[in-house]
Order: sequence, then C-alpha cells, then structure tokens
Amino acid sequence: MNDASPVAAASEPVEAEPASFRDAASRVFYRDGEVLRGLDERAAADFEALTATSFYRRLVTDRKVVGTERAGPETSGGPWKLVLRHERIPFVSYPYEWPFSMLADAAELHLEILLDALTEGMTLKDGSAFNVQWRGCRPVFIDVGSFEQNPDGGPWAGYRQFCQTFLYPLFLQAHKGVPFQAWLRGSTEGLPGKHLRLLMTVRDLARPGVLKHLLLHAAIASRVPGRAQAVQAELRNAGFSTEISQALVRNLLKLVRRLKHPAGRSLWADYRRTCTYTDQDRQEKEGFVRQAATAAPVQLAWDLGCNDGYYTRVVAEHAKYVVALDSDEAVIDGLYRSLRDEGTATILPLVMDLADPSPGLGWRGTERRSLGDRGRPGLVLCLALVHHLAITANIPLKAVLDWLSSLDARVVIEFATPSDPMVQQLLGNKPPAQHDDYREDVFERLVEVSFAIERRVALPSGTRIMYQAVPRA
Amino acid sequence: MTFAYLDPGSGSMMAQAAVAGVAGAAVAVKVGWRRVSSSLRKGKKQLATGEVQLGEK
Repeated sequence: MNDASPVAAASEPVEAEPASFRDAASRVFYRDGEVLRGLDERAAADFEALTATSFYRRLVTDRKVVGTERAGPETSGGPWKLVLRHERIPFVSYPYEWPFSMLADAAELHLEILLDALTEGMTLKDGSAFNVQWRGCRPVFIDVGSFEQNPDGGPWAGYRQFCQTFLYPLFLQAHKGVPFQAWLRGSTEGLPGKHLRLLMTVRDLARPGVLKHLLLHAAIASRVPGRAQAVQAELRNAGFSTEISQALVRNLLKLVRRLKHPAGRSLWADYRRTCTYTDQDRQEKEGFVRQAATAAPVQLAWDLGCNDGYYTRVVAEHAKYVVALDSDEAVIDGLYRSLRDEGTATILPLVMDLADPSPGLGWRGTERRSLGDRGRPGLVLCLALVHHLAITANIPLKAVLDWLSSLDARVVIEFATPSDPMVQQLLGNKPPAQHDDYREDVFERLVEVSFAIERRVALPSGTRIMYQAVPRA
Repeated sequence: MTFAYLDPGSGSMMAQAAVAGVAGAAVAVKVGWRRVSSSLRKGKKQLATGEVQLGEK
C-alpha cells in the first residue's frame, strides 16, 4: 500500500505534492485541480491558533500569505484532522531561478512574517527559501504549515536553513560578485557555511553580516556537541526568551535590507540602446507581437530570451500571466526591480539558460519540477533567440524547432538572417563553414515541417523575419 | 516544543544566541559556563572516586 496516500477513502484521484513529504504533520496534495493541505491533530491546533492572531489576518488582507480556507466537510476524513484549500500560484519557481533582488525581497518577507509571528506567541518551524513563491513580482509566503505555537520562547529552529538558503547565496553575490543561481541549483539545501566561509578574506570581515552570521556562526556551530533538543532546553533555561529571537530577526532584517546587487554592466543591459534595430523595425515588431497575442485568449505566455522585457510587457497587456526568461541575471534583476516598483502582478521574470533549463531536482528528481512540468503555455515568444541557440550554443536548427513545437503553443519566432550584424558577430567566433546551414530558406523549410505558418513578415531593415505559427497536430 | 521535522543544528542554535545582541550573548556565555563547570565537576568526582584520571577526553 502506498502510505504516502494522503486520504484514506478518496472518491476522486488524489495526487501527493512531490515536494511535501518531510513534515508528517502537514502535507500538500491535489484533487480535482485544487491545492489541498492536510493537517494532523497538532498542526490543526497550530492553525486554529494562527487564525486567531491579528498578524495572520493582516497578512491575508495584504495577500502576503497564500490564500487559505477550510475545505468543506466532503474533503475531511481520512488521516487528517483538518484539510485546507490553498489558492493556486500561477507559475511555480525556485530560488535558484530568482535574480538577486527577488531572493532578497523573499528573505525580507520571510523575516517580517517571522517577526510578526513572534510578537503573538507563534513561530515558524523552518527558514527555507522554498517557503516563498510569487504572484508576478509580489512575494507570497506559501508554507502555512510552518506556523506553530511558541509558548516557551527559545532559539529559532529555522536559523541555519535561513542562512543556507537565503543569506549565504545573497552574500556570495553581494560580497564576492558571483551570481548565486548555479551553486544554489546544485545544492538545494542551500550553501553550507563551512564552504562559503572558505571564500572570505580579511577584507570581507567588514562586509555586512559576514562576521556574525557566517564566520561566528560556523565557528560556534562546529564546536557545540550534544543533541539539538538538549541544547535548546539549555538555552531556554539560561534565559533565551522570545525577545532575544526578535532581536535576532530584527538584526537579520536590517542586514537583508542592506545587501545590494553588485553594480556592473551586463552584456544585455545596454542591448536595446546599442543593438541594430531601427525605429521602424521596432514598431513593426511590436505590432506583429501584439497581433499574435490577441489571436486567441492566452492564459500563460512564455517570453524566451526576454532581455529588458519590452515585448513581455506588450504580451502582458493581453495575456493573463507571462513568464519572462533570460540567462542574464543582471538584466532579469533590473527587469524585476522595474516591474516590482510598478506593482506588476502578471509578469514573473526568471533567470533561465534555455540551452540548459531547470531540470527536475531533489528526491527522485521530482521535488523541484523541471521547467517543462510547470504548466503549458498558450503563447511562446522566441524573439532574437534562435541565432544564439543555433550559433553560440551549437544546437541544430531542427532541434530548436522540435523543442519549440513540443511546447504545443502558438509561437512568434524572430529569425535573424546571416547578413544581420549580430549574426555576423556570432559567426565571427566560429570556423568558416561551421554554420553553412544557418540560412533563411533552410530555416523556413524546417519551420514548415513542425508548424503551420500563420503569418510571415520581413522587418523593414531586411535582416530580421518574424513568423507566427502553430504546431502541426 | 519539539522540532517538527527539521534538524536545526545544535551549533546553529548556540550561534544564534551569540549573534542576537547583548542579551543573547549573555545567554550563550551562561550556557557555555554551565557546560564548562559541569564537566569540571564530573572530572572532580571521577578523581575523588579514583575511577579515572582527570585529563583530556
């Protein structure tokens, strides 16, 4: 018998959330397209206590915690004392896909919530960056099961996890200039302090948070023998009160607010200013994209290689939700900060190398979903991207188009001809005959194999061709 | 309070006390002192009963 089955007698098929298994007291599962959370006796009591607090009600009104309601009587029963229904997050994303400022803002939300909880006799069981998701550019705390009653005070159990999944990745980038996404993707439990501290120099001692939360933390942590339960009791008996926890959290908040994305120009930050589009090209391209976005109602759109998000915004005027992907972290960080300041809730910018998109990770490779497993888009923009995949990443044109058609969505593809200055530049880095097949006629023939072309427009400058197409059945 | 499912790391909890300001540091010092003095007491007892030499473990 599969004892991970969350409901004893289910009339409709029930599917357990693959990432929700570590906490036996609270498990997420899906039924009938709904997101449900089962709580055992203890967790149900914690939830009742939570709903009685004023901070929780404020979080709900401000939409900083995921929408939650008690599921009706027909969904209770089975092993759970209480079942909750959660609001669906439009598109799941993970901390290793977020640019610096998104991780920092998520950390800030997590700490603010913890601080509020502590003032009303509650706390959070953990401190994981996976507790936060996004609604556009607004962070949302989703792990309602993490709240628990905290009558006796004592140290926060989530501190180490908070350091490893939030603070240390931010340190790596703020203090050493290294974007954290690749390391965090490879190490989803977070960056270990004992490894990160090896990269710190004497100069770094003065940088925010390093001495206390990295070096002192690592030095003490390696020298304390004894079981966690025992140490916690000792600390409590010696006077570790809730006030001290609050002082720690306030200190962490101040720190997170101080951490800054390292300055520096990226290849793409100046792209729109320095690239070779004429104004007429831009106008035609925008009109083409707009027409494609209104051809049919779009629930979810992907903008592959979104750069500064110009065309993402065009699509967002018509689509319900747009996920904007680009491999340049600095550009995505800039895009996020603009969208955040505008209060956008319909565009989610993520750092993603399309030649190596997020795979399935974690236990059995299913805890964290691969990009393709998070919901099918209805429209895909592939503007000025094909030449980068085909030439720089050496992916055959046919393979690129096979992948695009597998997304099962209407596509807008911008093809840059061999005479285009950007293509010339990329080809300049390669031996002469390497990309002989990178030609307009070859490309169009390949498109016709997997797609039915709805529209084809050559931009006025003559080196870019726009295609609107749907995959063949 | 038990720790739900997550191992918080005994060292990380002690470290928290140390970095959580003056009050926290005072708690950390207190715990540290209690541990030192309890192991000294244990050592003395063993010496008195002649069971074992006082020395580094």
